[in-house]
Amino acid sequence: RPPRSTPKPSSAASDVYKRQVHGDYLIDMESIDWSQPIRDGTTIMAVVYDGGVMLGADSRTTGGALIYNRVSDKIEPIHKRIFCLRSGASAHTQKIAQLCRLYIGQLGSELEETPPVYSAAKIIQSFIYNYKSFLSAAMICAGWDPIKGPQIYTIPLGGTLVRENIATGGSGSAYMSGFCDTHYKAGMTRKECRDFMIQSISLAMFRDSSSGGIIRLLDITKDGVSREYISHDQLPLKQNNYSQSCLLYTSDAADEGLGVDLGGR
Amino acid sequence: QMCIRDRYQRRVHGDQGFVIKMAGSGYDYDVSTLSPEGKIYQVEYAMKATENSSTILGMVCKDGVLLGTEKLIVSEMMVSGSDRRVYSVTKQIGMVITGLLPDGRCLIDRAKEESASFQKQYGIPITGKVLADRIAQFMHMNTIYLWARPYGCNIIIASLDEGTGPALHLIDPSGQCFGYFGCAAGKGRQIARNEIEKLGSKNLTCKECAFHLAKILHKCHEEMKEKKFELEMSWICPESGMVHQMLPKDIQKELEARAQETLEKEAMADVQSQIMKNINICLLYTSD
Repeated sequence: RPPRSTPKPSSAASDVYKRQVHGDYLIDMESIDWSQPIRDGTTIMAVVYDGGVMLGADSRTTGGALIYNRVSDKIEPIHKRIFCLRSGASAHTQKIAQLCRLYIGQLGSELEETPPVYSAAKIIQSFIYNYKSFLSAAMICAGWDPIKGPQIYTIPLGGTLVRENIATGGSGSAYMSGFCDTHYKAGMTRKECRDFMIQSISLAMFRDSSSGGIIRLLDITKDGVSREYISHDQLPLKQNNYSQSCLLYTSDAADEGLGVDLGGR
Repeated sequence: QMCIRDRYQRRVHGDQGFVIKMAGSGYDYDVSTLSPEGKIYQVEYAMKATENSSTILGMVCKDGVLLGTEKLIVSEMMVSGSDRRVYSVTKQIGMVITGLLPDGRCLIDRAKEESASFQKQYGIPITGKVLADRIAQFMHMNTIYLWARPYGCNIIIASLDEGTGPALHLIDPSGQCFGYFGCAAGKGRQIARNEIEKLGSKNLTCKECAFHLAKILHKCHEEMKEKKFELEMSWICPESGMVHQMLPKDIQKELEARAQETLEKEAMADVQSQIMKNINICLLYTSD
């Protein structure tokens, strides 16, 4: 349904729920399309560097035009040194990650050592492939194991399993493919890898409407796992910073004529 | 005023049932009964089934693992190689059986199924320890229920994994499973165990150990020299391409020939030293 131009406040008690105060705006809950499934529209990315693997994701979970969670965590733990990144329908990916965690937990106890990352990826693949007509899930499984070292496996929608050194996924990945192709190099240091990932996920979040919020990063090495997040004011491409948008006038004369403060220019 | 056990004995064994008291004396009719001493007699009887059967043994070496067994030739008309005891479960896991052989072959089928399903689910080949654990659990299952009997066989599982390297596991009819550097089961197990301990196979390569394996198997057979027998040996080592493989026939023949020679020489040396001892004793008495 198209949204009404002016929300019509009602004083009846039963209608109070329909009003939601959000900042300076009054949202008419009835005008929101609730039928869209909750998706992690997403930008997800994983890169192998010299000494480990780094995972990164944005934090926006949407349901149609509504952002359900602007600080969601798309990095799911599977085992001590195995994690996966989720993109697609949230319910599907959360369930697959939960089942993978269960099976890998069993494998870990049976083997009595770190389970291989390949097994986690295989389990995710078996779900996505065998139920592909019911699921809408694309995942990246990454981690470290003593035999093969840092590894990344992508499992896109159809259920293929591909091992890669750099993997991107989600709707935002299309907007950063050029940047990744140009600036990726094998065997980066941790700092180089971190900067590369922050820059590319920022670019994707800047353009993709289903990606945004903060950047979550996770670093997996032989010695441990560390998490961090880059909040919106530290992003290289600030999403509300119109000065970086190419829609801006580029000539100084036009700026002076307008006399508008475009913030930061 | 007879209890159920006595009534059963009288019914099954008649009047003799009270005269002949077997070892189990009534607590050994099924595997789900524990005796007052805390033993399960059916499981012990299953172990007895393996005690008098062909010797099997395995050795872990520096770069691989060896398996071997001696087979008594039951009939001259049998096609050689058709009574198989050593099987490949996966590319890098081999198993050898002794005791009731049909039971053993059933377990080998089960091991193959377990390995296939593990590989299908987890994408990696099953490790020796996990397979041994699962087979041991499977064998143990037959020692708890009334409607089943224990498997009357001992198995040795040899494996070579990327992560853990070469490993051996010995499983007995009760479902006990331990990892070994060298193990033996069957009739000649005492001799074999002593020899393997003396050998210290962990410091030798598979190629060198294969000779010793043949020698030990021949030694174990010495008590029954009259009966014809055959050896079945296999290895997982660089010479076999890191894959479980039966020893190539020519290598096996050559090793067996050398083993027999060495054993004869050792036997001669033993006899000679005995004679020397006796001579010395005689000289002692005639010196005056």
